[in-house]
Amino acid sequence: MFNPALLPPELRTLLESYPQHDAHDELFSPEQLVRSPWKAVLSEIGALGPEVLSQRSEELQNLLHENGVTFNTYEDDPGKLRSWQLDCLPFVIGTEEWEILEQGLKQRSRLLELLVEDLYGERKVVDEGLLPAELIYGHPNFLFGAANSYGDRPLLILHGTDLIRDHQGQWQVLGDWTQSPAGAGYALENRITLARALPSLYRDAPLKRLAGFLQAQHRCLAGMARSQRDEPNIVLLSPGPASPGYFEHAWLANYMNFSLVEGDDLVVRDGQVSMRTLGGLTQVDVIVRQITDPWCDPLELRGDSLIGVPGLLQAARNGEVEIANAIGTGILEHPALASFLPGLCERLLGEKLLLTCRDTLWCGSADAIKTILSQPDEWQVRDIRDTTRVIYPDMLSLQELRQLRQSMFKSPHLYVGQRALRAAMTPGFNPKTQQFEAQAVNLRLFSLMEPDDLIKPARERQYRVMPGGLAWVGEPGTPLLDSRIVKDIWVIAPVPQPHISLLRHAIGPIVMTRDGKDMPCRVADSLFWMGRYGERIDNRSRLLREALARLLQEDQNEVDSSLLPDLLTALELEQPPVEPEPENTGDGGNRYTRDYLFMRDQLLSQFSEQHPSALPQLFSLFLRNSRAVRDHLGDDAWRTINAMRQKFNDLPRIQGAVSGQRSLEGVVTDLAAFYGLCNETMPHHYGWRFLDIGRFIERLLFSLALLKLALLTADKPGIPLWEVVLATTDNFTVYRRRYRSQLHPSAILDLLLFDEANPRSVGYMLRRLGRQIERLPQPESTPYRNRETRLVIQATSMLHLVDIDTLADLDKSASAREALSELLDQIIQPMSELSDAISHTHFSHVEALRQLVTMQTSV
Amino acid sequence: MRYQLRHTTHYDYSGSVTLSHNEARLLPRELPWQRCRNSELTITPTAVRQRERVDFFGNRVVYFSIQEVHDSLDVTVKSHLTTLPRSLPDQHITLSWEQALRELAIGEHRVSSTQTLEHLHARLFALDSPFVQQSLDLVDYSRRCFTRNRPLVEAVLELNQAIFNEFTYDPEFTTLATPLQMVLESRRGVCQDFAHLAIGCLRSMGLAARYISGYMETLPPPGQEKLLGADASHAWLSVYIPGWGWLDIDPTNGTVPDERYITLGWGRDFADVTPLKGVMNGSGEHKLQVAVDVIPVPP
Repeated sequence: MFNPALLPPELRTLLESYPQHDAHDELFSPEQLVRSPWKAVLSEIGALGPEVLSQRSEELQNLLHENGVTFNTYEDDPGKLRSWQLDCLPFVIGTEEWEILEQGLKQRSRLLELLVEDLYGERKVVDEGLLPAELIYGHPNFLFGAANSYGDRPLLILHGTDLIRDHQGQWQVLGDWTQSPAGAGYALENRITLARALPSLYRDAPLKRLAGFLQAQHRCLAGMARSQRDEPNIVLLSPGPASPGYFEHAWLANYMNFSLVEGDDLVVRDGQVSMRTLGGLTQVDVIVRQITDPWCDPLELRGDSLIGVPGLLQAARNGEVEIANAIGTGILEHPALASFLPGLCERLLGEKLLLTCRDTLWCGSADAIKTILSQPDEWQVRDIRDTTRVIYPDMLSLQELRQLRQSMFKSPHLYVGQRALRAAMTPGFNPKTQQFEAQAVNLRLFSLMEPDDLIKPARERQYRVMPGGLAWVGEPGTPLLDSRIVKDIWVIAPVPQPHISLLRHAIGPIVMTRDGKDMPCRVADSLFWMGRYGERIDNRSRLLREALARLLQEDQNEVDSSLLPDLLTALELEQPPVEPEPENTGDGGNRYTRDYLFMRDQLLSQFSEQHPSALPQLFSLFLRNSRAVRDHLGDDAWRTINAMRQKFNDLPRIQGAVSGQRSLEGVVTDLAAFYGLCNETMPHHYGWRFLDIGRFIERLLFSLALLKLALLTADKPGIPLWEVVLATTDNFTVYRRRYRSQLHPSAILDLLLFDEANPRSVGYMLRRLGRQIERLPQPESTPYRNRETRLVIQATSMLHLVDIDTLADLDKSASAREALSELLDQIIQPMSELSDAISHTHFSHVEALRQLVTMQTSV
Repeated sequence: MRYQLRHTTHYDYSGSVTLSHNEARLLPRELPWQRCRNSELTITPTAVRQRERVDFFGNRVVYFSIQEVHDSLDVTVKSHLTTLPRSLPDQHITLSWEQALRELAIGEHRVSSTQTLEHLHARLFALDSPFVQQSLDLVDYSRRCFTRNRPLVEAVLELNQAIFNEFTYDPEFTTLATPLQMVLESRRGVCQDFAHLAIGCLRSMGLAARYISGYMETLPPPGQEKLLGADASHAWLSVYIPGWGWLDIDPTNGTVPDERYITLGWGRDFADVTPLKGVMNGSGEHKLQVAVDVIPVPP
């Protein structure tokens, strides 16, 4: 269909293997000419050449990866986090074509808004027979509880439509996303990434820009607030880090300047929805929900929901909070609606439906099942109770087919047939072969209610369409999550568009107290534990590094003088089993070898995924807490986390002590970089303080335990062990410079216990904790000190009041050792209670929810 | 009949509850054969944001929340009602159950001349619902009542008797959601289970049936005074008879509800008309006490 010889030479190599096919092609017209919307883009691409394009593609992947753009379907398994590939070739739509699409999408949104308003209001479409009762009432997403609840309020704020171009060049709508359409954030992130990797291509292309749409979205959400406050409190309600769309939730919250909350962060009191924050309850005006309908409210909807908010539907019904999109809009995602939309459009809008939907049969209609099953290769079947699954009748075994037929005849209203589609071909760039390939692509486009139309009656509300969107490679209907390659969508503008350079610039009003008292308690909690786990990884890594060094230095036959047993104790690992002395002393070497090997295995077990306190497990706890505060971490800090993720993925493959040591070096410096970036980039408000407190509680407890071991309880105390302590706490150089002498316990004690100028000393850490805790918000206004302050004062006084002379001659005097032991215990005891005290005062853990239902038991 | 109705639900919690959200469907609805003169809902501790609305099925629902720390909850409804005799389907209604199925035309979506709005609205109650799923076993059980060309009303009344005769009332046996299959196999249950069972049978045959929540007046054994708090909340069901309307039956007692029955509301099954449900913050167990009095008031 196209002749490579007609192309300019720089494009010829790129298109050498572009296939000839009989379907509609996005790039070439049937006359073998490059379609006009592509011309400008293609000449830029040609100018770059295959080599550069290939390099830029790689850069794109790196950028995406570093920013952690993922659909993290497998939260608990960092190895399975999926990243996308972003094609450097966009999906290009010409100006005129776009106008047609845009009109169609606007109409579709208006239609669905009127339909959902009717379904939860008058239900005239059912009473007049335009929609079968079974189709609506048999769908799990028709919420009986939401009926008669909304009046004339706007329900469908943001609407996502999936569509493809079929092999004949006709647009076909595949389905709608009407609860919380995913992908708008990805679309913008893809655009930003593409603009960074291919600046010339992006800057000069006359394409429509996206930022305006997101600004409008912000205005629209803010406009929903009833209270008409200057700064309505808008929150984004996410199911949490375990949900596949969490990256986007965090991204949007950050971009739009909303608080990212989970169900537990919200509470309905006095009829209003409030957010639990460090400063108490803060009223919420608008909720952008990312939770699907049935899970929103355990009181009125699914009682087993742990991610919802009890009383939410009632608050929405009373108009005390606005929810976008309204609870109940999920019924519009019913795949069978497609076959009734033309009639509904005539009835509700008095217009002809502009955009074609794919051929759809509702099995409740007469003869539908027969039609579908008699042409099994033409139709795909969906069970409306699980629309993520597509059933291909021609791929089923005879028995499966019989079962399907039986279920379909038993409850026909639950099944929908969709005719198989063939997609048009779209060019994509393969960086490996450096060639264009022809691919089938799905598109998701977004429409938004015009912010100014919120207060108008439903019939007059108009929508605007995002001039772009998200495309992904896959046969028609492939779920976005299952695709490996995504594409940006470029809508060609008739005239060059002004380049908006500050695409990432946050929009919306600047909330002065963003990181202040309005921080959700859960976020503070996660930051605190991120600090503790990160520091725990650091401490254990340092200690393990030293232990591995000793392992390499020590002679396996000198187990008697080995430090390793003490280091195993410090790491809380198992000691070699004590077995009766072998009778034949001449063969004693075996025991040493056996013990040595045992200790080696114990140390290396810290890299394995099985050991509960091993590094990979600690890291996954660290990662889980970091994800929960994704929107509070800077991009650079997040990049370091991603780099660490790579390292921790590789840890379990470590076989020997040497490579182990090397990896640990990397871990220690990455963590230092991460905390450094946090200190540099996080505002020094409450969030940062909780992170810091978490770190220093962990470090303090670790240092105290290590001191106690090295100076008091070790099997083999002495210079080698003290060296390890200094190295682990990174104080070896300091000690040498200051004392220029042999190691001496009193000097070590001074450096690690009393010297408040040394950031690794107990004195310094206590002072820092005291200062940080003093500056936390005080929930109750009382003149008395709270428990955590008292605990720090208690520990600090012990340290300050100790008579240094009693600690002299530590290595010779038993009474000095006793005094030290007492001192350390007096510090350890209050400090080990500190974590709970802080948690109790500030994180206000939500009590478990309980359901109570009465039953009817009478005679 | 005139009645004074009192229904108290009392919870004792072992730990304190800091916040609870509740929904009560305890206020009787108005019906052609039931006039509700006044209803009074008393909640202790004091509820905030008490709101009444009408749900999808036309029932009266009260939402309330309690925000003070509490370790017991008491909800009492007092209503004054008058019930009137209801009309029953004429003995001569000969519409067979097969004809009824054709008239209901489940699944077809055109409103035709034979499809009144009432038919259309009844179709919702022919579908599966959270507590009631159709099954072949239920068809098997119902088959002997639904013989060929049998008049619908006759078949329904026989089903009502069959369940009454063959099932044992056993409050020890049942839980909040005893699966229908288990009720069918064990031949045991309480009114809620028997109502669900009958609904399951009728829906499995393709008919429309709805669950009714309410009370009935019980009579003390001859010669004895009626004890206070001796009544209970009750459940039965209603079947749609095309061309006539909804016919109530009570398989727990093998009767057709009359003036002695007080209706609170109806839905697809128990889940739609749970008298009192709540979600609360707080740990621990709870103890439940219910007392119902249906007291006839002399004219």
